[in-house]
Amino acid sequence: MHPVTGPAIENGVVVIRGERIVAVGKKGEIDVPQGAVVRSFPTGHVYPGLIDAATDAYTDPSLRGDGSSDGGTAFVDDLRKQDSRVHDLAAQGITTAYVTVRSPAFVRGQGAIVRPKKDGGFEPWSGKDKAALQVRMTNGPGRSHALERQQQLQQADGLFEGLDEYRKALTDHEDALKKYDKEFADYLAFHQKKKDGDKKPEGDKPTGSNKPAGDGKPADAPAGAGQGGGGNDPPKDEPPKKDPPKQLDGEQAAAFEAALLTLLEAIAQDPKPKEPPKPDAPKPDGQQPAPAGGAPAAEKKDEGPKRPTYPKAPSKEPQRDALLKVLDGELPLRVEAHRPDELRAALALQQARKVPVLVLEQAYGAAALADEIAKAGAAVVLTECLPIPFEPPYDRFDATKLPARLAAAGVPFAIATGRASWSSLLPLQAAAAVGGGLAPAEALRAITLTPAEILGVAKDAGSLQPGKYADVLVTDRPLFLTDSRVLLVLGKGNAEYEVK
Amino acid sequence: MLRCTLLPTALVGLAATLSAQDLLVRAKTVVIAPDAVLADGRFLVRAGKVAYVGQDVPADAAAKATAIDCGDALVVPGFVLPPTTLGRDRDLAEAALPFTPDLRAVEAFDPWHEELAKLPHGGFTSAILSPSPRNIAGGLGALVKPGAGGGSVAAPDLHLALSLNAAARNPERPPTSLMGAVDLLRSAFAQAKSSAAAGPDVAVLRSALQGNRKIAIAADTLSEIQQALDLARDFGFDAVIVGARDADKALDRLVAQRAAVVIGGLAPEMRLAQLQFPARLAEAGVPFCFTGRPDQARLSAALAVRHGLDRKSAWAALSRAPAQMFGVAGQVGALRQGCAADFAVWSGDPLDLGSALRAVYVDGARVHGELPSAAANPASSPAAGVR
Repeated sequence: MHPVTGPAIENGVVVIRGERIVAVGKKGEIDVPQGAVVRSFPTGHVYPGLIDAATDAYTDPSLRGDGSSDGGTAFVDDLRKQDSRVHDLAAQGITTAYVTVRSPAFVRGQGAIVRPKKDGGFEPWSGKDKAALQVRMTNGPGRSHALERQQQLQQADGLFEGLDEYRKALTDHEDALKKYDKEFADYLAFHQKKKDGDKKPEGDKPTGSNKPAGDGKPADAPAGAGQGGGGNDPPKDEPPKKDPPKQLDGEQAAAFEAALLTLLEAIAQDPKPKEPPKPDAPKPDGQQPAPAGGAPAAEKKDEGPKRPTYPKAPSKEPQRDALLKVLDGELPLRVEAHRPDELRAALALQQARKVPVLVLEQAYGAAALADEIAKAGAAVVLTECLPIPFEPPYDRFDATKLPARLAAAGVPFAIATGRASWSSLLPLQAAAAVGGGLAPAEALRAITLTPAEILGVAKDAGSLQPGKYADVLVTDRPLFLTDSRVLLVLGKGNAEYEVK
Repeated sequence: MLRCTLLPTALVGLAATLSAQDLLVRAKTVVIAPDAVLADGRFLVRAGKVAYVGQDVPADAAAKATAIDCGDALVVPGFVLPPTTLGRDRDLAEAALPFTPDLRAVEAFDPWHEELAKLPHGGFTSAILSPSPRNIAGGLGALVKPGAGGGSVAAPDLHLALSLNAAARNPERPPTSLMGAVDLLRSAFAQAKSSAAAGPDVAVLRSALQGNRKIAIAADTLSEIQQALDLARDFGFDAVIVGARDADKALDRLVAQRAAVVIGGLAPEMRLAQLQFPARLAEAGVPFCFTGRPDQARLSAALAVRHGLDRKSAWAALSRAPAQMFGVAGQVGALRQGCAADFAVWSGDPLDLGSALRAVYVDGARVHGELPSAAANPASSPAAGVR
């Protein structure tokens, strides 16, 4: 048993209850509950479910050529169960996957974390269906002038232009909403009190209000009284003193209250009404309601606080919303960058814009920048670690040796497939990294716990530990052997794949 | 004349030197051939060839030899790259002439070509240099090897390279069609069978038909493969089909005619049926190996194992099978007595991608990598050569 967080356990046992692991240890040292269903694999190897930190599984192939997406695009909206075997990630031992699409779009959208299910199905990871913002800061392997690439990189920086103003507009709107809520409450309270004051002389009429009546405030001011005249608003704590209001009977009071509330609600919904609404309810004593959105209340000094105007919301921009989440650290920024100059630009962007969570994808040329990446606190998702030589101009990059270099520099990195068609090769990629000098334990971590950390799901996945989801992979021989076969895959304790 | 006089003397001197520098190679696992694996194995290299293996190594020879102790590593025969032009396609095709069976690939061999020098980086120690498939009858292949001081030719005139694939049907010269290409070959073979005909072309074809050299036919589509097999059946030779993209559709005939195939390299994104095809070939008993880039051959074999091929067949596909297909099994592809001491030292099974290539030796001389100091143990005293 290979828990990842500790050394391998000979004759290991994992106890599962419901969807969680409750115990992990050596046989004989772990209490197995009586009546538990026992699945035994005497010669098998047990691992946590694998985590693919980048795949295009469950996506439509047409998305790969779609350059129309932007930061507001959520891939989770387009995911669907696929019948093709290559999308059966669960059968390959993958129990968590981050789904994205390598489209030509500059800003690709927001990737989703999903939990692969049996027969090519999946379920979005609750709360992680919009898990990172994808940006492409590369022209790919085609030949391009460095200055041309630099322009593209500057384009990435331009994404963040105007965000302060946008955030200020949002913040101002939120403040205005709060202010509005407060003023509206005051406004209601004023009229409620006025109404209660009107009722107080009778003393035996229910007001329908929870607030104590008899505070001396008048209750019979016509709706919108603050809008029409030229009087001065009284101070909030000094309600205007008026002649004793005319008494309303119970039905009249209730009708008036309903009309008032309806009117105020209507006013609240329409920030700038051109015409004063006409309440449906009968007006008490034949008084005419004041126009709702008319002149400022200040003009009527003795008619209470003015009716607040509902603040206009700034136009919503989903991409900017996503970018703000990036800046707030709620959403990692995942940047596809290949060459050292592209990677360096991504790091510069991170520094200039103070991006808290940066994940570099593919990053073939990261060996030259490993120390800088480590210093910046960025993580890396490598997607092509098989011993397939790159074509020029990438032929100077060694995909299998890069993981060891990143590990030596202390860069957190995950090894991922990048595409559904490679799903069965995730362990082979990690094995190839071992061939490139990476320690086997680190290679295993790169397809389990480290991607869990990068994806922000390490609390629930990535290792065999009590409390985590019972995501378990059983193979017939060590995972990194080429002919290792999957025997059983559990996802949250449920069998998602089992060899026939 | 002077050279002719001096050369034998030099060779004698060289042989004496090599004899004095016998190597004793030891490792936890020594793969002599796919079906002969020695635990704690050893073999003795003399004059660039495997002189003794395992228990047959004489004690006195072992004592005098320089030891190469590979520790826990795995020593395997060097891989043999099946037909390749080694990046010299233009020099290995006489484009204007469709039928040049007597041309010799060895005459276009560049011992310092970059691709040849890179072969050891993938564990390869020899290659079947072949005329380009752009000619119907391209000529004769050769067995070549990389070396620290430049490449060498181990066998100059090997197989006869024929081609029925699309590349050979040049619209600028006849034949431009498959039927024309087949007719050309039929006519040539028939002429070669006739005792009356003569000439260098005929001599080459006749030699091949008499079984003195292998005949490899490049054929990709089903119809091309069928035509190649028809030729083999009608003129009585065992064909090696090179390319064989549609070989899965002709598997029964391949088995029936004892044909061998050189299939294209595997890639991760291929269809499942393609990835499983090597396993089907092995199950059917059809000898096969992988063509393509040498730096992808190991991955091809690993992918085949991942999709059901047994490890022995995969090992064979990288070494023994191509040697047998092209008639050089006595020289390369195994570490049996008499074979060239072409071997690679891996940290583990090369079919597991977690294994790393440590060193490669051609004719007993290291051409790539180096063993860790603890493993590389060039014994200073003769006694160190004996375990």
